[in-house]
Amino acid sequence: MKPVVDPKLCKGCNICVYICPKKCYSRGTDISDIGYFDAIVDAHEKCYNHNRSGKLLCELCILSCPDQAISWHPETEEEQSR
Amino acid sequence: MELFDFYRKDRWPHVFCPGCGNGTVMNCFYRAFNDLGLPLDRTAFVGGIGCSSRIPLYINSDALHTTHGRAIAFATGLKLASPELKVVVFTGDGDLGAIGGNHFINGCRRNLDMTVICINNNIYGMTGGQASITTPHDFLSTTTPSGNKEYPFDLAEIAVAAGANYVARWTTRQVHELTKSIKTALQKKGFAFVEIVSQCPINFGRRNKMPDPTQLLDWFKESSVRRDKARTAAVDHVDLNLAGQITVGEFVDRNRESYEELIGVVKHG
Repeated sequence: MKPVVDPKLCKGCNICVYICPKKCYSRGTDISDIGYFDAIVDAHEKCYNHNRSGKLLCELCILSCPDQAISWHPETEEEQSR
Repeated sequence: MELFDFYRKDRWPHVFCPGCGNGTVMNCFYRAFNDLGLPLDRTAFVGGIGCSSRIPLYINSDALHTTHGRAIAFATGLKLASPELKVVVFTGDGDLGAIGGNHFINGCRRNLDMTVICINNNIYGMTGGQASITTPHDFLSTTTPSGNKEYPFDLAEIAVAAGANYVARWTTRQVHELTKSIKTALQKKGFAFVEIVSQCPINFGRRNKMPDPTQLLDWFKESSVRRDKARTAAVDHVDLNLAGQITVGEFVDRNRESYEELIGVVKHG
């Protein structure tokens, strides 16, 4: 499973960048449609839940995101082999 | 239940400022509620006035938006009129402790079966950053430009002294512990009180050299002391200065008789 940031909901507070113990996120550089610098998931293969389909381990970013913008999505086969 | 079946998707994105801790509490509450599998249509949510008291309006259930400080008074009436409902009160520090302080103390004393979730952001955030009863000593706000000379209330200790059945305090940095505490509070018979020290980057942090929400979260992490560990380290006293220490943890977990049991309320329906 990999975390995905929804650009319609993210307000660019960067709490996910701060709180992720594995540094999966980085600060955004482009302005989104609703006018914020969205965080980017640039290293999802470092995530604790990489290559896991069932039990989720950490979830600090999902629970901490104040705008409910982060959700789990299944990985493609190419991403799983990384 | 998915997150956006629990919350009203058509109201998103919500009105809270970027980095506000209310959204974190919403996530944790949804997780606790969903894990317990409680029925949403048998639960009523009550809120007063303030940023945090807007949370009931986002939940896909019956909600009561009441006058300033009177959330617990309305919830008492609701619970006694419909004892089969589970009543959850979302409230803030100004709403619960300052304007509704007397309702809070007497609600704890009466020990009615309800869950109160207080989001303490240390300031009156919605009205522009005036000093509230929980603003830490020497911190700046709109009404205290040279530093707050008063010492703050300790809401959790007041609830313990007034007789609540379950009292816990966490910050928005400790999300997993907070979820667990909300779960215990929802299951508890009697008055369950969870205080959450939350960040307000716009009106509190910006005036106190912490404009980034991550700086406030860092401050919570540095200054949080677990209550069980604090006792062994001989700092058992309540440090009223939040700049020094935020005591977190479960304060009390007991089984006093609730008000409904004492007066013999009969459930109907």
